[in-house]
Amino acid sequence: MASTRLYTVIFVTLMAFSTAQALFEFTGILDRAYWFALGVIMVLSTIKATLVAGYFQHLVHEPRSITYLIAGALVGVLALTAGAAYSIL
Amino acid sequence: MTEHADHDHEHHLPPKSSVKRWLVTTNHKDIGVLYIITSLFFLVAGGILAMMIRAQLWTPGGTLLGGQGYNQAVTSHGLLMVFWFISPFAFGLANYLVPLQIGADDLAFPRLNAMSYWVYLFSGLLFLTSFFLGSSLAGGWTIYQPLNVPAFIPEVNQVGSLATIFALMLFVAAVTMGSVNFLTTFYRMRAEGLRVRDMPLFSVSILLTVWMMLFAFAALLAAVILLSFDHLLGSVWFSTAEGGSLLWAHLFWFFGHPEVYIVFFPALGVMAEVFQTFSGKRIVGRKWFVIAMALVAIQSFVVWMHHMFLTAINLPIKTIFMATTIGISLPFDLMVFALIYTLAKGKIRFKTPFLFSFGALLLFILGGITGVFLGAVVLDYQFRGTYWVVAHFHYVMFGGGTALIGGLYYWYPKMTGKMYDEFLGKVHFAMFFVGFNLLYFPMFVVWETPRRVFDYAAEFTMWHRLATVGAFLFAASFLVMIYNMFKSLHSGEEAPDNPWEYASAGEWAVPSPPPLENYPGVPSYAGGKLSFLTRSEAADGGTVVEQEVAGTEQTAPDGGAIAHAGAAATTPTTDYAEELALEDEHADHASIWPFAISASAFVTFLGLSGISKAYFIWPFVFATGFMVAYFGIEGGRREGFGWIHPVVMALGGAIAAGGAYLLAIDKGGLGAAIDGASVYFWLTTVGAFMGAATLTQLGFEEFNVPEPAIAEQWPFEAVSNVKLGMWMFLGSDVILFGAFIGSYIFMRVGHGWTDWHHDFIPEAHVVLPGLINTYLLLASSFAVVLALVAARQQNRRRLLGYLITTFLLGVGFLINKAVEWEHLFHLHEGAFADGWTFTTNIASSSFYITTGLHGAHVAVGLLITLYLIVRAYNGAYLGEEEADTIEHFGLYWHFVDIVWLFLFPLFYIL
Repeated sequence: MASTRLYTVIFVTLMAFSTAQALFEFTGILDRAYWFALGVIMVLSTIKATLVAGYFQHLVHEPRSITYLIAGALVGVLALTAGAAYSIL
Repeated sequence: MTEHADHDHEHHLPPKSSVKRWLVTTNHKDIGVLYIITSLFFLVAGGILAMMIRAQLWTPGGTLLGGQGYNQAVTSHGLLMVFWFISPFAFGLANYLVPLQIGADDLAFPRLNAMSYWVYLFSGLLFLTSFFLGSSLAGGWTIYQPLNVPAFIPEVNQVGSLATIFALMLFVAAVTMGSVNFLTTFYRMRAEGLRVRDMPLFSVSILLTVWMMLFAFAALLAAVILLSFDHLLGSVWFSTAEGGSLLWAHLFWFFGHPEVYIVFFPALGVMAEVFQTFSGKRIVGRKWFVIAMALVAIQSFVVWMHHMFLTAINLPIKTIFMATTIGISLPFDLMVFALIYTLAKGKIRFKTPFLFSFGALLLFILGGITGVFLGAVVLDYQFRGTYWVVAHFHYVMFGGGTALIGGLYYWYPKMTGKMYDEFLGKVHFAMFFVGFNLLYFPMFVVWETPRRVFDYAAEFTMWHRLATVGAFLFAASFLVMIYNMFKSLHSGEEAPDNPWEYASAGEWAVPSPPPLENYPGVPSYAGGKLSFLTRSEAADGGTVVEQEVAGTEQTAPDGGAIAHAGAAATTPTTDYAEELALEDEHADHASIWPFAISASAFVTFLGLSGISKAYFIWPFVFATGFMVAYFGIEGGRREGFGWIHPVVMALGGAIAAGGAYLLAIDKGGLGAAIDGASVYFWLTTVGAFMGAATLTQLGFEEFNVPEPAIAEQWPFEAVSNVKLGMWMFLGSDVILFGAFIGSYIFMRVGHGWTDWHHDFIPEAHVVLPGLINTYLLLASSFAVVLALVAARQQNRRRLLGYLITTFLLGVGFLINKAVEWEHLFHLHEGAFADGWTFTTNIASSSFYITTGLHGAHVAVGLLITLYLIVRAYNGAYLGEEEADTIEHFGLYWHFVDIVWLFLFPLFYIL
């Protein structure tokens, strides 16, 4: 297990990233550069999710096989989403 | 027999002659038998429907059944056979045999296994009940949309249709529980020295099957959940003209094609085992056979659109999926040739199990070849929607069913201790095989017959009559089987431990039927052969480990050396002996709660099938209040009363009273609310209360399942069974929520991504409520982490404090969401003068349903938090190992948090 200090730093980072995501809307960046903002916002969400999974769920300390299990599920659902979305373009 | 009865008694299990035994058992062999019998019951149900279909088709435009009756018969036949017969039949065999084959004394989670069975049974009963609720679902087993949304179902048939959808939902829940259980068992409970690749081929096939089940059924669950909300709350997922129909097809077939292999793989495993035994030869190219199966399991998730060649998907994607579909036939070719070559090299004994397995191979070859036609876009344009498809998939699916019946004969002596009648078995096969081909082959000949329609060209009549005759012969063959099984059970010859020469898997090394504990010691393959290890005192006072190798006995001083002979000695001898001693502890094998919870689910979903939108939520509010109060009562009664218990009881009372108050306001008084409630409301309420009580009892029940101290656990050595099970469940949940989010993305892409916000979403739908909820959920996740730290530090006060903080933050999340929804429901702006509700448009439907299901996960998490609080008050969860429960809950809670991290930008910012 990581230290309480590390957990606290991660928590503060998560809160800061969430605020940053909302700021894209509040400051009007989303209206001016939609696709750029979308990219950054989704990257921030991915980093947040990775931090929660890695440290709050302790994936970094578990056998890699658990990460592969979850990654397999993610790949499956991304294949579904990407394939389905592409099929109607 | 007496010895067995004594063993059973030690495990708090009544004898097998008692009905109670079958209600409370959690033993894998009992549950395997229950699965087999139940699945055969559903085979009869689906078979009767098939007979009605064939009788209707005796003449073109037959009139035995009305139009709606015929549609119901076709739909229900398909659903019952695919879902409630074939796979559960295979899993009856798997339940019985997998632990025996891999050297485990049971599945990893025996109570979950029982729950899986009972939910399966009650889901089937709910399905059958739907016939008495106006009409069962009648839009085809593929449940294409928008044909199966309320707008296209007559009013009188809607309750039964929704009951069918709920039955499917419950079935998927059972499947998911089973998948998690089997996967954990395979990876954590294999006997020492047994590598995954070396498991008997039936077990290998089941392992790959449960991997596919874990992921594929989650997509189906997502689809039926969305469909049920279209029925219950009027959301427009599948009725919207903008891609609702295509969305269903994508979700259904993402599940549906792996489902073909989910059905067929266990049959392949049976064929491999039976061919080896009755040819006396190890399967040719075993390694490549296993690799080919694994390849198919992976490829099965990238072929789904070949079921959609006649929809509006574009040509490039059709071409890609044609290529992947042709590609998936290649590993199958390898497997088929391996099976054929094994027979060619061996000396075949034509016993009944072999006949069925060989017959299955022939049927599958024909089914497989005719399926390749359908994988080609141009041919599919011609064949789609005709009897070519019907013939093809029956050859594949019931080709698999044929091998499974061979499997039943093969393992019947092991399960019952009696030999079946060989002559009757062969009579069964002859009638079965002739009947099968007489039934299905003519369908290839008159393939132009339109599928699901009971009218056809007059010149096809002779062929259809042949098929009908074949159908009745086919059905009659099962009467021979059932007679054989019953007769042999009572007067069959006693079966030895291994009645089959050359059969070598683990189950044949124990008595027929096996004792409750399966093995006479700890099974080990470390020496290259199966042996059983037991620890005892030597005459000189030292320790000896006795090693019994299948059929012979050896005794070695102090164990380790001989037990590890020929293998790397990774465990010191003394530790090994100590660990062996721990194996004396056995699981407690009796619990009534899996049955009771499943019965509650049946009543609840039966009620939900007819409940009105206005009453939908209230049974769950009241039951939640009751459950919370019950936590307080049971926690105090079992573990000692303290201040927390009356507080929790009062909280439960407040939830129920608050619910009643709000309901009264909504309906203009409590009397009016009661007067307006239908019988379905009361059924749902009773079911929800039963569920609350029985789940609480399950939570407080003592039920110890010791993990094996000596086991092969690659690649999950460093995690406990429960933690691995939790991660498996979360893997399935990734697909479930991923499918919800993917559905939203699909619909938004279909509409035009950037137009979505402008066209569908009111100005009042702003970022702030989502941001506040993000803060609340992140903070609650942090609190759970701190709770875990406190539990490991054995600090009870802090543990309680952080759990209560988690609870309050979660409640804040739900309150904030309720306030936001209430505001959006009652908007009066511009295009949304009547509010922005579930039914307004696809954006509102996707927003409410997706975030609502996430909210339901939060609510479930809060109930678990309260349970933890009640128990933590009395000192539970303190210490390194005891804190694991908090960690397992944390895995769930953080997952809910992660899902929100994507819902927030997708539904609030972008």
